[in-house]
Formats: sequence, C-alpha cells, structure tokens
Amino acid sequence: METQLVISGIIYGLSMGSIYFLLAIGLSLCFGLMRIISLDQLLYYSLGAYLTYTVQVATGQMWTAILVGACVAGAASLLVERIVFRRVYARDITFTMITSFGVLIGGVGTIKYIWGLIPRPAAIPIQAQVVLWGTPVPTYRLIVVALSVLVYLGIALFLNRTITGKAIRAGIEDVDHVEGLGIDVYRLFTVTFVLAGTLSGLAGGLHAPLIMVDPQMGLSALAFVFMVVIIGGLGSIKGTLVSAFLVGQVMSLGSLVYAPLAQMAPFAIMLGILLVRPTGLYGSPLLKR
Amino acid sequence: MLRWWSGILAAFLVVALLRVFMSLPFATEVVIFSIYVMGCNFLLGRVGFISFGQPAYLAVGAYATAFYLFYAGTNPYLGILAGLLAGVAVALLVGPLFVRLRSDYFALVNLALAVIMYYLMEKVLAKFTHGDNGLWFLTRMTATPVVNLTTPAGFFVFAFVVALVLWAFYKYLDETIYGACCLATKINEDKVRFLGYSNFAIRWLAFVIANTTTALAGSLYAVYFGFVSPEITGPHRAADPVVVTILGGVGTLYGPIIGTIVYTGMKDVLSRIIVNWEFFVGFLLVFIMLAGEQGLWGTLEALLRRVRRSGRRAPVPQETG
Repeated sequence: METQLVISGIIYGLSMGSIYFLLAIGLSLCFGLMRIISLDQLLYYSLGAYLTYTVQVATGQMWTAILVGACVAGAASLLVERIVFRRVYARDITFTMITSFGVLIGGVGTIKYIWGLIPRPAAIPIQAQVVLWGTPVPTYRLIVVALSVLVYLGIALFLNRTITGKAIRAGIEDVDHVEGLGIDVYRLFTVTFVLAGTLSGLAGGLHAPLIMVDPQMGLSALAFVFMVVIIGGLGSIKGTLVSAFLVGQVMSLGSLVYAPLAQMAPFAIMLGILLVRPTGLYGSPLLKR
Repeated sequence: MLRWWSGILAAFLVVALLRVFMSLPFATEVVIFSIYVMGCNFLLGRVGFISFGQPAYLAVGAYATAFYLFYAGTNPYLGILAGLLAGVAVALLVGPLFVRLRSDYFALVNLALAVIMYYLMEKVLAKFTHGDNGLWFLTRMTATPVVNLTTPAGFFVFAFVVALVLWAFYKYLDETIYGACCLATKINEDKVRFLGYSNFAIRWLAFVIANTTTALAGSLYAVYFGFVSPEITGPHRAADPVVVTILGGVGTLYGPIIGTIVYTGMKDVLSRIIVNWEFFVGFLLVFIMLAGEQGLWGTLEALLRRVRRSGRRAPVPQETG
C-alpha cells in the first residue's frame, strides 16, 4: 500500500513537472533572448486549455483538440508580439513585465467574456491504466511526461543543430554581435516568442483533462511557474527542466506527508536556493539590475 | 512644481469633494486603497522595485489586527497598532533576503510569497484563522474615544487623517537625502556605492517603509469590514496595486489617489454594466505603457502646469465616473 502511494505520487509529480516545464520553457527562452518577462505566456496556456475543451466537445477528438489549442495559442502569441511586444523589446525588464501583465489581464477578461465563469471539464483521451510495480497508473500521465521529454529533446536539437537555433543561442549570449553578423534579430525574437506561446498552449491543452478548465487557471499557475523559473534560473533551458521536475516531485511527495506542504514546499526550496545563489541554479549573473 | 502644502490641500479637497458626491463606502474604499497603493508606488517609482506580492503584506497587517481583535482585545486602535508592528516585523525579516535580488526576481519572489501566505492562512494555520470562513470580529470592537472607529463616518475620518499623514510623510521623504538616495539607487547603484552609501541599507529601509504602509492598509481593511479571510491575499488580486500605480502615474505623489479614484470608479461603474471589467483594465494598462507610461497624474500635471500661470488652482480631476 505504502509503495503504491509513493509510486503514484512520483508519477503525479512527473506529470505536473512536465506541464510546468512546458510553461516555464517559454518564459525562460523569452527572457534569455529578448530580456522580457512574458507574463502573458499564462494567457496562452489558458487559451490552449479552453480551445482544447471546445474542439473536443465539438469533434470528440482529444488529440486533435490539443493540437488545435497549441496552434491557436501560437497564433495569438504572434498577434500579441506584432501589436505589443514589437514596441517594448528595447525597454527595461519591469516595463515589459507590467505590459505583459496588462495583456494577461485583458486576455483573461476576454476568455471570461467568450466562455463564461463556470469551470468546464475536459475528457481524458485515454482511460486505460498501466500497471507499474503493482501500481495502476493512468497512461495519459505517462504520455504527458513522454511528450515533455520529447519537447525538451526537440528544443535542444533545434538550438544545437539548426542555423536559426544557433542564432538564438548566440543571441542569448550577446544580441549585438548577432545583429552585427547581419542576422535579423527581430525575426529571431518573433520565432522565439511564437515557439514559447505554442508550447504554453500545448501545456494548457495537456493540462486540461487533468483539471477543470476555468478562467483563473492562468493566474493560479502563475506563482508555481515562476517558482520553477526562479529555481532553475531565468534563461537556462536545462535549469528549467531540472527545477520543473524538482518542483513537481516536491509538491506531490510533500502532499503525501502533509497536505498543505504541496504549495509551501516549493516556496521553501526557492528561498533556500536564492539565499545561496540569487540567480537560481543555472541562472546567468550576466544581467545586472 | 506645485508647493507641497498646496498639494496636500488639493488632495484634501479632492477627497472632501468625493465625500460630498459619493457614497460613504465608496469614499472609504478609495481612501484605504490609496494607502495600499502608496507603498507600491514608493517601491516602484523611487526604488525601482516592482512587486507583484503586495497582498502578502496586506494580509500580514489584516491578520495581525484580526488576531488581536478576535483573541485578545477589543480596541480597534490597538488592533491597527498590532497590524503596523507586524508589518514592520515581517518587512524587517524578509527584507534582507529579498532586496539582494535583481528587480525581476524580486517581483516574482514577492508573488510567490503572496501565494504562500494564502495557503498558510487557508490551510496550515486553519486552526487559528478558521480557514476560508475567516475571522469575524465586527461585534467585538468597542467604541473608542476621540474618533469612534466602529461607526462608518468615524472610521472614514480616521482613515482619511491617516492617509493625509502618509501623504505628508512621503512628500517629506522625497525632499530628504534619503529620498534622493532611493532615486539614485534606482538609476545607478555603482555611483551610490562610490558616494559611500549602502545600496542594501537604502533598499531595505525602503522595503520596510513601503510594506509597513501596505500592512497599515490591511489593518484598516480589517477594522473597516470587521472580517478577514484568506481572500485578501488571493493570487487573483495580486497585481491590483501595481495596476493602479501605473494608472495614476509611477513615482508621483498624487498618482495613487487619482489612480485609485479612477480604478475604483471604473470597477463600480463597469462591473454594473458588464461582467468583465478586467478586459478594460488590461487594455488600459497596455495602452498607458505604450503611450509613454506617464499615467493619469503625469498627463494631468503637464496640463496643470500649462493652465497655472500664476494663480494657485487646486487640481480637481473630473474623471470620477
């Protein structure tokens, strides 16, 4: 019985960590390359979840729905980037933070307007369960974990093997030099921003069957995503992966010990890490205030 | 520049006018909320720290007051004092840890703190805070001498005087060496160090001042409603003070009050017409940021300067729905 609890707890933690990773990776990339704090990623997350719900109700195809959610979230992020972020790349960080928060609030208002205030349930695409070490585990959660690992590998390949990816990595090091090479950095910014938005939408779509979809979900996830980003260090992809799974595990295993620990423990870890390293585990001390 | 006392007078006039045209609850809400925003305004405008976690400190003040009035005493004055002391204590405690951080990390860590406060009050300390039901102590408060805080009118007068004193205090801060140090820290910390001041000490003190102000606003809320629940520090309301600060004009003295009047008015009027007034708030925020982040007061001040040739005319904003 005890081992069963622990195993299901670990699996739950892994799946939560995966969702947080997909959400936080966009934030980290945006910060690393453009030095913006893009709070509106949480809006694309909510948007992805809502579209997943809507398309799934209309067609009954869950995987299609998740795909559509991610794509539409990407499109929305492209739109926002064109209208708003174009104008704020050169500004300082707190400025972008406030602006993106405005986008987030406005977007949440729009979501309330379209879908109303009532939380909606989305169906789980796969009801089957796999037995691991004598513990029944929902297959869907394992698929979520596998998908996020695939996304991580995909991003790593993209950044290391393609010209665009290499340019983005170089941009994270030093934007001016990349521009000096004759590469259009604003195009890179757009690519990164849309990639981030799409991944956030994917996170929302994958998360939708596990929770009730409600207008405030983005704001509720906000604090945890930021704990992930801060622990890992802004701008580091590896750090984001490590800290997302760390936070997921701490939340789920902590709640087995004592229920309220689920929300408190990541915060305690974050404070501890910040005491030792003010820029997080893998954060670059590159940028002074 | 407007003379400082004429500014205070003008603010006094605005709120007095409010009291004539607006209902008492609305006016009280404006006064308390403007105190709440003042702390955030000081942090953001003078020290360059943006905090999405102000509700955490609001909750500290509110809960300290609530604990005192629910378990110990009956005098609201002492309750507010308890909230104030708790605010100072918490700010002194977490300040050294937080002000070392870069401004972006600072904002996020504060947000996380607000969420933690929420769960702390809702679940962990449920034995003392009664969880989501909150603490009710409206009937436990006794009438006080001088100004009777248990009556709405008396409370309004008290809150108003507190707000005025705070305005005067922040105005005074602006003109001291310390206020100049704060601005210098925001602009160039290396030069501040060169001049022999400690960035850390300046920021820590600013942190304590701002968050004590916020805790005081929390105490006032607690006494005003006679009830405190974890709702006060919920993540959904986390950015309200930041939004209002930007709306009113960052780092200006009258920004908080003007921003509050407009924001509260908008909330009142819009939420009656449509359900989701957040959409407009978000849109307005982005618009103000893109239009040059001066805020309402920043724009108004430029206009006033043009209007005022020699006579002293009190600025009375007309945009209170």
